[in-house]
Amino acid sequence: MSIIEAPLKLLGEHAVECVIIGGVAATLHGSTILTNDLDVCYGRDPANLERLANALRSVHARLRNAPENLSFILDAETLLRGLNFTFATDVGSLDLLGEVRGLGYFADVVEGSALFELFGYRFPVLDIAKLIIAKRTAGRPKDLIAIPELEAILQRQITNKVEGYGTE
Amino acid sequence: MRKVDEDYFLNPPPGSAAERAVEFGVDLTLTLENLRLTPEERIRKLDSFITGVARLKASARRLGPRDAADNEHY
Repeated sequence: MSIIEAPLKLLGEHAVECVIIGGVAATLHGSTILTNDLDVCYGRDPANLERLANALRSVHARLRNAPENLSFILDAETLLRGLNFTFATDVGSLDLLGEVRGLGYFADVVEGSALFELFGYRFPVLDIAKLIIAKRTAGRPKDLIAIPELEAILQRQITNKVEGYGTE
Repeated sequence: MRKVDEDYFLNPPPGSAAERAVEFGVDLTLTLENLRLTPEERIRKLDSFITGVARLKASARRLGPRDAADNEHY
């Protein structure tokens, strides 16, 4: 089973407005850092929350690290009441962030993001400079060790931009 | 990918972020390999690695230190 591709397709199929962040964003920019889940920052307008809730229900999403008997109604209202969620689903783990520490909410996160065509859908991917800020703000060892490689990729991207070449 | 991009990762210029990354312990030849792939290929490579590790974990049986020492292939 594909751990990253399948959740991406799920979000694409349901037209969920979101930005790819975290380790998968780092991978898309060329980093070799490993991750085993998909993190996205999602838009919190009512229509998007409905689409997101539908997508999550279709793959039997359940909260990770929550007691099995915990009552959890997966709908737009519940998503609106919370902010950041970590789900296990039939197609892999999916972390949904309403806010990214150091960056802000969806509108702040999506600004300046790069658009990637993936598996037939278009996804905004967190800009590498912002990704570095997010990782530095998170400050955990696993985030900090990713920074030197990301800075090297960023420096090359900036040089290419200055010289008039694309980064992809 | 342009040769100048490859050179940046293979022979990092002094004082560059690439040089700092190498000093930190990053193998930029692997980064370069990733950069040669399309974004979809990068995701599929990551997926394949995660799946491979999971399969390995599922199939491995941990033996005690004595078993390891007795193993003629060890």
